[in-house]
Amino acid sequence: MAMIGVATTRRKIQWSFLDLLVVVYALVPVLWIVSLSFKSKETLNDGNFIPREWSIQNYVDIFQTNEFVRALFNSIGIALISTFIAVVIGTMAAYAIARLDFPGKRVLIGVSLLVAMFPQVSLVSPLFEIERALGLFDTWPGLILPYVTFGLPLAIYTLSAFFKEIPWELEKAAKMDGATPAQAFRKVIAPLAAPGVFTTAILVFILTWNDFLFAISLTSTEASRTVPAALSFFTGASQFEDPKGTISAAAVVITIPIILFVLFFQRRIVAGLTSGAVKG
Amino acid sequence: MTATLTEPKQRPAAPPKPRSTGWRRRLPLLPALFFVILVTQIPFLVTVFYSFQSWNLVRPGSQHFVGLQNYVDVFADSQFRGAMLNTVVLTVVCVFVSLLLGLGLALLLDRQFLGRGVVRTLLITPFLILPAAGALLWKTSMFHPNYGLVNFVFGGNTDWLSAFPLASVMTQVVWQWTPFMMLLILAGLQGQSKEVLEAAQVDGAGRWRTFASITLPQLSRYLQLAALLGAIYIVNSFDAIYLMTQGGPGTASTNLPYYIYQRAFEGFDIGQSSAMGVIVVVLTLIVATFTLRLMFRTFDVSSGVK
Repeated sequence: MAMIGVATTRRKIQWSFLDLLVVVYALVPVLWIVSLSFKSKETLNDGNFIPREWSIQNYVDIFQTNEFVRALFNSIGIALISTFIAVVIGTMAAYAIARLDFPGKRVLIGVSLLVAMFPQVSLVSPLFEIERALGLFDTWPGLILPYVTFGLPLAIYTLSAFFKEIPWELEKAAKMDGATPAQAFRKVIAPLAAPGVFTTAILVFILTWNDFLFAISLTSTEASRTVPAALSFFTGASQFEDPKGTISAAAVVITIPIILFVLFFQRRIVAGLTSGAVKG
Repeated sequence: MTATLTEPKQRPAAPPKPRSTGWRRRLPLLPALFFVILVTQIPFLVTVFYSFQSWNLVRPGSQHFVGLQNYVDVFADSQFRGAMLNTVVLTVVCVFVSLLLGLGLALLLDRQFLGRGVVRTLLITPFLILPAAGALLWKTSMFHPNYGLVNFVFGGNTDWLSAFPLASVMTQVVWQWTPFMMLLILAGLQGQSKEVLEAAQVDGAGRWRTFASITLPQLSRYLQLAALLGAIYIVNSFDAIYLMTQGGPGTASTNLPYYIYQRAFEGFDIGQSSAMGVIVVVLTLIVATFTLRLMFRTFDVSSGVK
């Protein structure tokens, strides 16, 4: 809180020390993962923080096993499709909530928040039974279905907050100036709504990308197994002597897209999460 | 989609509307409702149905109606009660500790210093790592008795995951969730008005006094939101337990989601796991009603103030 107080040199040193400590706490495990992923099999357990011999063998290994490449493909495909569907449906719902007045609106927001809190584990075994009966078990749609459902509340929650901020009178103004409804939407409203929709898409994508529970219980083969589930099989698989290096490499590979997303859109994401709370 | 979006363009303020328009207005909501009902309510009804059946997949054809027997069994099951206790401990401790740490970090980041952006970005990283990968790596590279970093730094050869299973899992969960709390609280800190803070200083309020009587009350909304969102996810923690301890040793670190999963997918006891599922849903509903009420009240208060 130096912006109020006067920063003396001593205080500065104290703060810097604290900062350092904090960064170490958050970062050591992360750096350790990166370091492990670049170690060769022989030096994996030497406890050196910096690899003695740098090697990209772990990365080569994971991209040579079908197990990982296929899982990565599944993860990307399933997450993208689920995100798309959830955002489209969520946009429609959020639009209705933000712009139209109708009785029972509050109940609807309540219900959507309730779904977010619905314990997922209590749905896993019935979904397993139902999907086996319908032939959806171990397929992409089998995972997309629950992901859309649990992505929707998040999408509606953040989107309706964004939509409330849009000056909708502009649409009317555009129409008065002779634009058709479609033009008014495309040229005026869509550009204003785009940032919110985009932020929401990132949040939903991260949610589905990270899921482990559905991924492990609704899949059984490489046909639809996503990366989180595939990772858990790395430990037991005998084809790697010590899975630590390969797990680390896999962790680095799958974390990079998320880190890039968030680096670029950090401010927006926080805005998306908090604006709902503050402006309800 | 664009057609649906642009359709209700006029917005008459007159309240009494014919029924048909009323339904047209709700039209954009239908797909969302449809999905949610399809995926949460139908399986839930199926769960309720299963919970009155004695049904073990290992014994085909054994399915029959047993009334409330499953519920009686579940409540008599000491492992279930243990799992429930673990869930409560895990959630309360993790939310509290990560909130506290997050508040501390947010206060640090709220000051001006060289490289603040970099530090903030670095601090967020644990939250971005795939939870499953985070859990596995804490297990194999931090807590491992021979090669783990924890023993490497502090010496000894404690097998952390068997000696302190729940505490180890909680450490990982806290590590993962602190950045999330920090981000939300930081947003709150940066939203507070500088004039009020300056006014407080002019009036001679000390650093601590300013924090306690101005910053903290303003932050309370954000703290509540962070705690609520964190709790929703942490209460459902599954990956950390599955991947780090498998609920063990014994059932020392089994929480409810993991126990239900175990009964269904390893014990193949559909009847009992469904009964547990129903109990969890009912408990969640009770807690959720309270939190929702709290949230709506917060919304109202904030819009009233603004």
